Amino acid sequence: MGIAYTSLDTTKLSTAEVYAHTLCELAQDDPRIVTLTADLAKSTKIGVFQEKFPERFVNVGIAEQNMFGMAAGMAACGLIPFTCTFAIFNSCRALDQVHTDICYQNLNVKMIASHAGTSFGQAGSTHHATEDIAIMRAMANLVVMVPADGQETAAAVRAAIAHQGPVYIRINRGFDQIVYPQGIEDFQLGRANLLHEGSDLCFIACGSAVFSALQAARELAAEGIKARVLDMHTIKPLDKEAVKKAVHDTRRIITAEDHTVVGGLGSAVAEVIAESGMGCALRRLGIQDAFSPIGYHEDLMSLHGIDANGLVRAARETLKMDFEEDDDWTDEV
Amino acid sequence: MDKDKMYTSRLFLYAVLPLVKEIGTEYGYFRGKTGVIQISVRLPEGEEGLHYMLEDGQVQTALGLHPSPDVQLHFKDQEHFNRFFLGKTKKLPQIKGLKHLGLVMAAFKTLLKMSTLLSAKTPPADEKTKELVVRLFLFLLSRGISRLNRMGHPQVQAWSSISPNRVYAWEVDGFPDTAAHLRVKAGKTKAAKGKYTRSQPFFTMRFADLDSALAILLQTGDFITLTAQQKLILEGAPEFGAKIGDFMQLVGSYVQG
Amino acid sequence: MSLSKEKLIQLEQKAHALRQSIVETVYHAGSGHLGGALSMIDAVTLLYYHRMNIDRGDPTWPERDRFIMSKGHAGIGFVSVLADLGYINREDLKTFNLTGSKLGIHLDATKVPGVDASTGSLGHGLSIALGMATAAQMMGKSYITYCMLGDGECNEGAVWEAAMAIGSRNQHNLITFVDRNHAMLDGNTEDVMKLEPFQDKWTAFGFHALTVNGHDFAAIDEAIGEALSRQDKPTCIILDTIKGAGVDFAAGDYRWHYGAINEELAKKAQESLTAYHKERLAALEGA
Repeated sequence: MGIAYTSLDTTKLSTAEVYAHTLCELAQDDPRIVTLTADLAKSTKIGVFQEKFPERFVNVGIAEQNMFGMAAGMAACGLIPFTCTFAIFNSCRALDQVHTDICYQNLNVKMIASHAGTSFGQAGSTHHATEDIAIMRAMANLVVMVPADGQETAAAVRAAIAHQGPVYIRINRGFDQIVYPQGIEDFQLGRANLLHEGSDLCFIACGSAVFSALQAARELAAEGIKARVLDMHTIKPLDKEAVKKAVHDTRRIITAEDHTVVGGLGSAVAEVIAESGMGCALRRLGIQDAFSPIGYHEDLMSLHGIDANGLVRAARETLKMDFEEDDDWTDEV
Repeated sequence: MDKDKMYTSRLFLYAVLPLVKEIGTEYGYFRGKTGVIQISVRLPEGEEGLHYMLEDGQVQTALGLHPSPDVQLHFKDQEHFNRFFLGKTKKLPQIKGLKHLGLVMAAFKTLLKMSTLLSAKTPPADEKTKELVVRLFLFLLSRGISRLNRMGHPQVQAWSSISPNRVYAWEVDGFPDTAAHLRVKAGKTKAAKGKYTRSQPFFTMRFADLDSALAILLQTGDFITLTAQQKLILEGAPEFGAKIGDFMQLVGSYVQG
Repeated sequence: MSLSKEKLIQLEQKAHALRQSIVETVYHAGSGHLGGALSMIDAVTLLYYHRMNIDRGDPTWPERDRFIMSKGHAGIGFVSVLADLGYINREDLKTFNLTGSKLGIHLDATKVPGVDASTGSLGHGLSIALGMATAAQMMGKSYITYCMLGDGECNEGAVWEAAMAIGSRNQHNLITFVDRNHAMLDGNTEDVMKLEPFQDKWTAFGFHALTVNGHDFAAIDEAIGEALSRQDKPTCIILDTIKGAGVDFAAGDYRWHYGAINEELAKKAQESLTAYHKERLAALEGA
């Protein structure tokens, strides 16, 4: 059952392509898998599926609300529909359908939301998806995943199919920095991946920010700071235990996401911290409650402070922060 | 030279002599006794010392001078003090409060026992004493490193001044009462007993058993062999482990003859 | 498959019983979407008691014909059908809208057997129906999907997204109904948001669109028969109905889109329904 991609494959294929190929492989053995798109077959790369299984593919044209309603109807009849559109349309334009037809009725629809965050930077805010994690997190019954690269997306797709119920998978536009060149051995929905060990502070990141965190951790290691990196690929259900452990072990949490800091990963982590009763320093990195300007994705990530430099800067600032109450520095006798 | 002498004096005062409480209590020398015993020395910068407040056998240690101790062991000069505790002279200090003979005897019994335990060339035979010795050493070393930092020892200061908030810990598997730890942050240090539970220590020097701990502490064994045998495990950054090892030896160099 | 006189009489009696049940349910609930339930119930009776291929013992039978009541607020009418089929307990009708009841204004497909989709947010049902019809096509199954829209509901853009797709795909295993009772909450449809020329719109979207008397079983049945045999276009049957049909004080009055029925009104409604169906039955028997 292993779908192995060589590291060469993953450098040649963009994340969306890996996803589409994975889906084709899985659909080979499972006739229930069908796909829908809203005139974005080419952009979301699901055209690959269309070529292989034309009778299991539906293009609804530029009509996202209809697409999600159809997906609900198909799931109600026993199929496993994968919808493919841009994250902004999935989460805003068609939200009523997502909420009422899919989540409320707990139907087995898997939503692939591409061009997430500012990854389609040049298109401007009409095509940026910077609130979708916050919105989808609030939907009951919905699983929300934000994989970091192609391999993790493939793993997420497999996990989504194994899960009974609606799933939202948020991916970027094109080529992602590779976080898992050799693939992931033991991917589990809802369990964060520990990518770098350390006890000075912990980066909790998702999507494009995971690579930033890994780079930042390596840079900080050179100056003697040991940062832990958690790839929180599942935003809902969140790996609360991993968060609590990070709080206990490091006392400094820095979250990073290509998304607004209001309501996304940072807020989800903050909820766990606040309820845990444990003290710690928290810094949420992401888009600071503003619409993003136009630009290349890398530049926008830099602007918003979620590239490696931004995370290193935040780490240094956080390490200076005082949160320990006892300022008693006398030796115990 | 003078700086080294000062390190020695103050390490004895504030890192070694507090062990009197542990030893006296362990061997029952203070049982049923009440009163204040002070050990002090005249240092170039003035009188310094520490005192033990006994209340029916319960001991509380305090750094600094007591206004009216019942018993005082006073060293009139630094050289005498250093040599005495390095084991190089048996000449006694000035003793005030001889009428409290019981307290005086208790004090000297404890000091003698301390000397025996800490300058042993071979590990003790029974487990109880082994545990005590390990505990004494780990407290001594953790407090010693902190004291060197406070005194501005350049080697230790260079490390502490740039350190973010970190905890270094020592542990022996199966013997939680022997644990000690040292908190460091931006030039400040704090030594304490027991395990640090508020977060994961940045670095832990873990001994698989008491014998391995004693091998390092009594310097009968070496780091490399014990690490290879997995009797000594350095958890956390190894380069920082080496630093801690150096500082432990540094403390030792000042308080061992 | 045209209707025999005997069958017509059976349907007539069933529709009467269902209408009485609707009024009773609204009375127990205190208030409800009476008008729209009464206007659509003849078509629904024809579907469930003549046309639809269902399993009376199993509402989840995978091969069953599907019915999507896109005008979800007519749930207070639909539940009487479900109770009569035995999918739900008749006694449960008395708990409609009460706290803890499975039954509320908009029926929950995950809680109420026989409900194929949780509708209520207008404009969703046609897309869901299209999905079900597409699934049948993909799985090589022969079940038919029926979708009942409200006319006011057709203000929603989502309805036309679905319509465009149905027309474009020639999804003829899906039959669309519109309960054209000419009224919505705030007034008559043509006063709030003009729908006319309504049939033309469906035609323009690629449907074989026709308008029939929504209270004439034979006419509706003929339209369905035609729809089922067509392979060139999907069909939209516009049911010309009277909102609140059968209850004299409510019939044709948009204010009875949603209203309260007390004991007095309930009695009046019952009498009105009896008279209404007596008249219809007489017309049938005479014909």
